[in-house]
Amino acid sequence: MKPHLPLLGICALTCGLGLALPPGAAGVTDDEFNALKELVTKQGQRLDQLEKAHDQDQKTIEQDQKVHQQDQQEILRLEQQMETTQKTATDAQQKAEAAAQIQPIHPIPEGPAASHQFTMVGDAEVQFGKVDSQHSGFALADFAPIFLFRGRDNVLFEAGFDVTLQNGANVTGTHDSGSSTSVSMSFATLDYLFNDYVTFVGGEMLLPLGTYSERNAGWLNKIPLDPLARALVPGSGVGVQLRGAVPVNDSGASVTYAVYADNGPSSIDGSANSTNIDLGGNVGILNTGNHPGTLANLHGDPSGGGRVGWFYPWKAHYDIELGLSGQSGTWDDADRRLWSAGVFDGALHLSPWIEVKGEYLYTWESTSDVGTIQAHGWWLQGAYKLAGLNLDLPLINDIELVGRYDDIRDGMGGHADRYTAGYVYYLSNTLLFEGDYFFGSGNLEGPNHNELLFQLSYGF
Amino acid sequence: MRCNTSRESSLRLGASLALLVAAIYAAGSAWGDGADAKPDAKPDPKSEPASPKKSEKKKLTGAELYAIHCNRCHPERYATEFTAAQWKTIMTHMRVRANLPAGQAKAILNFLQGDSGK
Repeated sequence: MKPHLPLLGICALTCGLGLALPPGAAGVTDDEFNALKELVTKQGQRLDQLEKAHDQDQKTIEQDQKVHQQDQQEILRLEQQMETTQKTATDAQQKAEAAAQIQPIHPIPEGPAASHQFTMVGDAEVQFGKVDSQHSGFALADFAPIFLFRGRDNVLFEAGFDVTLQNGANVTGTHDSGSSTSVSMSFATLDYLFNDYVTFVGGEMLLPLGTYSERNAGWLNKIPLDPLARALVPGSGVGVQLRGAVPVNDSGASVTYAVYADNGPSSIDGSANSTNIDLGGNVGILNTGNHPGTLANLHGDPSGGGRVGWFYPWKAHYDIELGLSGQSGTWDDADRRLWSAGVFDGALHLSPWIEVKGEYLYTWESTSDVGTIQAHGWWLQGAYKLAGLNLDLPLINDIELVGRYDDIRDGMGGHADRYTAGYVYYLSNTLLFEGDYFFGSGNLEGPNHNELLFQLSYGF
Repeated sequence: MRCNTSRESSLRLGASLALLVAAIYAAGSAWGDGADAKPDAKPDPKSEPASPKKSEKKKLTGAELYAIHCNRCHPERYATEFTAAQWKTIMTHMRVRANLPAGQAKAILNFLQGDSGK
C-alpha cells in the first residue's frame, strides 16, 4: 500500500495551524482565506491525480502477475517436452545401437523402398459363331487377365493367362459331354529396366517377330481370328531379351530394337522329318521318351532373333511404323537342321479414322526328308472409323469398318486365302462388339470355309 | 550336310550381328544428337543458347505424346480409369511392351497421373 504523503501533510498543516494560532487569531483576512482555499483546492486535485495513478499502477501489477503465471506454465510445458525429447533420443540411440549389430548379408538396392504395386489388367471375350454347313453356337468364353507386379520403379513382373471353357470333358457315345476349363500361360516375364535405353526381359516372352504377337490381346484385335500366316511363326518362347527405344528427335519419332535368345522350335520325336517340327519348342523337364528327367529342350543351341523398328509420327494420329525381324536356330536333336524366319511389318495411320497395317512372313525349315521347306504368307488389314464422316449420328460414329486379306503358302503345296469383312461397334472405349464374315478358300484344312463370327470383348 | 549347317550357322550369326549392329548404330546416332530430352530436365546454364530455329521447335507435351502413342494399338484409356500408382505400373508395362522411349513414357505418365482416379 502506497502511503499518501501529501494528504498527511495537509492534515498535519491544518492541525498545526489550529494548535499554533491563538483563539484570538481566528479572524483571518479574506486574502489569507482565499489563498488557503486555493491551496486546499489544488491539493485536492493533486490527490485525485494520485488516486488515478494508483489505480493504473494496480492494473499494471495485475497484468504483470498474469503474464508471470503464463510464463510459469510455459516453462513447465517446455520442461515436460524436454523430458519427452530426451526419452525419444535415448530410445533412438538404443535402436541404432541394436541395428548396428545387424550386418546386411545381401546388397541393399538403391532408390526408394516399399514402392511395389500390384495391378490386374486384361480382357474377356465371348464368341458366337456359324460355320458354313454347321449349326451355329456360342464358340468361346475367354478370360485373359494380365497380372502386373511392380517391385520397384525399374522392376516389373508380368504374366498373362488365358482361361477358356472347352467342350468334351467326358466322351459319351458319339457325343462329348460336359466341359472343362483350360488355363494357359501366354507369357510370364521379369522386366528389369537397366536405363532409359536398355530393358532386360526374361521368361516366357511374346516374341517380337513382327508386332502381332505383342499387340493381339482379344480387345485389341479388330478381327477376332488371327491372320493365317501367323501360324508360320511361334508367338512366344522361353528365353531372355534385351530391348529398348531411342528417340530420334522431339517429334516423338523413335528407333526401337529387340535382341533375344530362346529355346526355339524343337522336334516332336527328335528327328528332322518335315512333319515333326514343334514351333513352340520344348520347355522344362522331359517326362517321357528315352530320356525322362532330362531337359526337354533336346537340341543343343538356342535360337537367336531380334527386331529393328522405326516409328515416325508427323502429328497425332498421323504416323508410320516399319519393322524388320527374324529368328534362326536348330530344331532337331542332332543340331543339324535350321529353322529360320524373317518378318516385315508395317502400320500406317492417316487420321484418327484410318488405319492400315500388315505383315509379310517367310520361313525356312531344313528337313531330312524333303529338303528345305520355304513357307510364307502375308496379311493386310484396313480399318475406317465412320466418325470421320462427321454425320452427327452417335450410332454411326461408334462404328469402325474392318477388312483384311490373308494368304498362306506352306511350302509343300498347301495354300489358303481368306477375305474378311466386318465391323467393330464401340459400346465404350473398352467394351467392343465385333462382327465378321470370313470368306476362305484353298486346299488347307481349317481356313478353307466361310464363317460368321460375333465377339463381345471387354478390356480392363 | 554338316558343311551346309556350318554355312547356315554362319549366316544365322551374321544376320543376328547385323540386327544388333543396326540397333546399336541407330541408338548411338540418336544418343549422340542428345535426342532423349527428358521432360523434367533443366537447361544447362553453361551450354550455348539454342539457335532461333531450334528454340522455335515445340517440345511435345505428355498429352500430345499420349495422343500419338496410345491410340495406335488400342482405344484410348482415360486418366480417371486408374489411380496414380496403377498408372505407374501400367506405364512401365506399356513402356516395355510397346517399346516406348523412356522420356516419352515418363511424360505420358505425368499427364495421366495429373488427372488420375482417386
